[in-house]
Amino acid sequence: MGRVSLRFVLGRVLAALPVLAGVVVLTFVLMRLLPADPAAFYATGPAMGPAEVEALRRQLGLDRTVAEQLLIYLRDLGTGNLGRSMVTGQPVTEDLALRLPASVELTIAGFLLALLVALPLGILAATRPDSAIDHLTRVIATTGVSMPTFVTGLVLIFVFYFLLGWAPDPTSRYDLFLPQSPRLTGFLTLDTLVDGNWEQFGAVAARLVLPAATMALFAIAPLARMTRASMLAALQGDFVRTARALGLSPAKVLLTYALRNALIPVVTMMGMVLSYMLGANVLVEKVFAWPGIGSYALDALVASDYAPVQGFVLVVAAIFVVLNLVVDLVYAAVDPRVGLG
Amino acid sequence: MSGATLRHIRHVVATNPVTLAAVLLFAAILLAALLGARLAPLDPLQTDVARALRPPSAVNWFGTDHLGRDVFSRTLVATRLDLLIAVSAVSLSFVAGCAVGALTGYFGGLADRVVGRLVDVLMAFPLFVLAMAMVAALGNTVANIIYATAIINLPFYIRFARAEVNLRRAAGYVLSARLAGASDGRILARVLVPNIMPVMVVQMSLNMGWAILNAAGLSFIGMGVKPPTPEWGIMVAQGASHVTSGHWWVALFPGLALVVTVFAFNLLGDGLRDIVDPRRRT
Amino acid sequence: MKRRDFVRGGVLSIPAAYLAMQGIGPAAAQSRAETLRVLSEGVPNTFDPSGAGANRESNGFVWNVYDRLVRFSRYEVADGVYHYDYYNLEGEVAESWAWSDDGTRLTFRIKPGLVFHDGSPVTVEDVKWSLDRVVSMPASARQMSTGSMTSPDQFEIVDDRTVMAKFDRRDRFTVPNLAIIFPGIINSKLARQHATAADPWAGEWLKENTAAGGAYTVESFTPGQQIVFSRFDGWKGGPLPTLRRAIHQLVPASSSRAVAVERGDTDIAMGIPPQELAALEGKPGVRIASVPMRNAFQFIGMNNTLAPFDKRGVRLAIAHALPYEAMFNGVLRGRGRPLFGGTEWAPSTAQFPAPQPYVTDLDKARSYLAEAGMAGGFETTFTFNIADEAVVEPIAILIQEALAQIGITVAIEKVPNAQMGTMLTEKTIPFFFDVSSAWLNDPDYFFRIFYSGDWRWNYGSFKNAEMEQLLADVRFESDTAVYETKVRRIIEIAFAEAPVILLWQPSHDIPMSDTLTGYTYYFHRQVDYRVLNRV
Repeated sequence: MGRVSLRFVLGRVLAALPVLAGVVVLTFVLMRLLPADPAAFYATGPAMGPAEVEALRRQLGLDRTVAEQLLIYLRDLGTGNLGRSMVTGQPVTEDLALRLPASVELTIAGFLLALLVALPLGILAATRPDSAIDHLTRVIATTGVSMPTFVTGLVLIFVFYFLLGWAPDPTSRYDLFLPQSPRLTGFLTLDTLVDGNWEQFGAVAARLVLPAATMALFAIAPLARMTRASMLAALQGDFVRTARALGLSPAKVLLTYALRNALIPVVTMMGMVLSYMLGANVLVEKVFAWPGIGSYALDALVASDYAPVQGFVLVVAAIFVVLNLVVDLVYAAVDPRVGLG
Repeated sequence: MSGATLRHIRHVVATNPVTLAAVLLFAAILLAALLGARLAPLDPLQTDVARALRPPSAVNWFGTDHLGRDVFSRTLVATRLDLLIAVSAVSLSFVAGCAVGALTGYFGGLADRVVGRLVDVLMAFPLFVLAMAMVAALGNTVANIIYATAIINLPFYIRFARAEVNLRRAAGYVLSARLAGASDGRILARVLVPNIMPVMVVQMSLNMGWAILNAAGLSFIGMGVKPPTPEWGIMVAQGASHVTSGHWWVALFPGLALVVTVFAFNLLGDGLRDIVDPRRRT
Repeated sequence: MKRRDFVRGGVLSIPAAYLAMQGIGPAAAQSRAETLRVLSEGVPNTFDPSGAGANRESNGFVWNVYDRLVRFSRYEVADGVYHYDYYNLEGEVAESWAWSDDGTRLTFRIKPGLVFHDGSPVTVEDVKWSLDRVVSMPASARQMSTGSMTSPDQFEIVDDRTVMAKFDRRDRFTVPNLAIIFPGIINSKLARQHATAADPWAGEWLKENTAAGGAYTVESFTPGQQIVFSRFDGWKGGPLPTLRRAIHQLVPASSSRAVAVERGDTDIAMGIPPQELAALEGKPGVRIASVPMRNAFQFIGMNNTLAPFDKRGVRLAIAHALPYEAMFNGVLRGRGRPLFGGTEWAPSTAQFPAPQPYVTDLDKARSYLAEAGMAGGFETTFTFNIADEAVVEPIAILIQEALAQIGITVAIEKVPNAQMGTMLTEKTIPFFFDVSSAWLNDPDYFFRIFYSGDWRWNYGSFKNAEMEQLLADVRFESDTAVYETKVRRIIEIAFAEAPVILLWQPSHDIPMSDTLTGYTYYFHRQVDYRVLNRV
């Protein structure tokens, strides 16, 4: 890590700026291609006529050309103003700040759950290639990735909430009838822990299980596959043979020597999976009434509410860029041969 | 195909029963796609409200839906459309991605950098939302669903093709072709592209499943193909609201068809990877 | 409460969060029985009674948090379930009101001792300011004008308990218009502190803050997620509600809302489609409040200015080809009142909406089509809103199938909510399904909104000189016999021209815990917490 210079990080961040600019412009133009006219849609309370629609259009600045609107948007963006949502009536920055922790908490929970299953499965499969356990691993992982996330979610709700009653109702992130902890991070697991609010912590954790499992099912396959492949390669490596020849215990060989080397490509895959999950949890949030940024963007898109969709895409793209950077840094930390300078 | 390759394929299939199963499954799905409309025992569009939500029976093997339509016939007939969406979308992104990726990877230069940046932009996008926005903007026709799916797959193919071509442009067989007087175009078309093809085909197979899931996701939020066309994603999404009332068959059977198809594509992709490149075996 | 508070405080406002930290938070202290939990498709997007672009949940918000001068009374339609009574009003802020004999003066006497949430008294100045505001705000001005209220100059303070409104002549829509969402009585002392030269009515501030005196206050608000109301114990606008607290939460999936009622995790679920209602029927602990909505209707719209729907024969052909029974019984599951299958082309009463004299009769449909010179049929697109998919998609398929039999080829198009709104406003949509409701119930009002005018609500883009004349004639008609004769003629024209085809009045079906009574249906289709009781 010592060789990772500040210059490298800065350079990467600067290089990402054109990408983010491209994302902003593309989203902006795409939203204006939507066939709906926000003014016509929102000015339709009872007794609203053409004059009221026109007035709202002017108020929203939609009577200007797209180029003008873009310039105004970019100018506002420079001051940290992402516009206002028509659906929630709030500034987009506040909406996103309120909702991002919910999405991130769910994504991380799903990701950790996936790792917890995928790593052992991958290692197990790699130690016994072409055995029954190997094939079984493959079938399990592939089944998970073959289910649409909304189907997985609905099935889990149906079985564990509706039929068995083991899971809490999939309608909120916490128990409304228990005392709530003050908001510090927006990660309810952390907030309740800091507060020592054990009962609510349990409720929060219980509500996280099904949506996280839904997301994990989708992520197990790529992680397990990559773990298996790189473990297999590592186990055939010279250093493993040497270590074995030296009489080290099989467990030590497996977990210390092979795993450490096998982790390098897995870390890259983790970065990809994690950033993909963050963008792909839209449907999971919808199914579980999870108040994250994905369901926010989806509702806004259907309502032709431009600002929230633009804000959402920008945030996800920024996270994508940061994650890639982090993966590179972790890569350097895991593999001493990689230097970043 | 050489004898060695055939032997290798036989070896892979023999040591990997799962791949064999996937091949058989895939053949069955293909058959359903080709003959589905003819094999369907009942008209998949014919409604009969008086016979709505009947459980599976000798007449309606998979029961009937909320309009009394035969779920079995609809599931069977939908195979062609779902495969069509997946195959067209993936082929489109494959062809376009290969062409762009191979050209930029081979020639490099300004075009390479510009395309590289565009690909970066696309990759940073939350892909599902991009597909949704495109379908919402262009209209929810089958063609637009295919285009949207193709575009969100495009960056992977461009990157992949570019990297593979870039890696091989200095390879021995390329140099020898050049020495033999082959033009750049000829080298690309005759030497490089065929060489990266196997790896790309594996990627295609894995992507097919993903394309079907993507289309199903669009259906779930109401941006799928237009009614009354049978399509698995829509059938599952609409059938889901009947599950709690005990009419599980409306969603279950199309859901199974969808999952089994994606499953077959994924396993097939894995198997193909073993055949194409044993070292990459995962 | 201020918006900053709940944004920083997250789910709770700061004082509440502080209490919660001490373990004596309101959630812990109050029993589950005194709290109502409602799962819904949305949460309010504005707190302003005259808010632009307000969604349905905002209407419910204003209904419970603000008081109005008058309110609709209610009548029981089933055991413990009520419908609002449009023709019987009672005082809320007003103790009494009276028209002068010549109909040019309407005076309101204010109840003594009413207070706003901040404890300040409700004064005639507040009433005057609120009325001035409601006729000035763009979102409410046009609606208020349907009750002859157009200018602040009309409202005068007579004494410290009396406010007067001046008119050219008596208008029977004036008082009902004061009972709808818009004219909530605002704490003007508080609101005016936040008014600016550019925003004299404090629209920006009232969007996110309340200056109200209604039965409930906002305990916490998480935009786009949930809102928690708590009872205002100082409320004197009516009998003190029994529910101390109400949690209104957004849950997007209708199946999750429905299942939560069945499992007893929520008290009320809004927006449940008919097939999921069927699954809840007869489940222990669940009752479905089913109220026939007198003011709402679902319909097939046709743009009367676009070919071929500009031909009366084409519209009547469709009116006689629709598979009414299959749609009503098969899809809607009979949950409503049919508006088809009537027997009178010339109605004997002035009631409306009333069953139209259309039945499924393909031969008749074909002859109408031939009369229009379209015997060979035509192609068109039928559009509906994705948000209504659960009900409309099967209906669209049945219509497609039925119209194919008379040679009309229908392509089905489903579009997102915003696009549907745009197409309706811009009148670019030829043939569609939609649902609508009138806020005021007089038959002539219904026709004025839905069968005339240049706006979205004239779904057929219908323009008929005789009907316009009749509508103008009855606008201020006080002679019941004359009124009814003219309205009967209006209805007759509507039947003969079929500018839109009304299908049915859906019933307002709300699955709820069977411990609740007093559920009341209002024109805005939101829950009134004030009148609900738990037994």
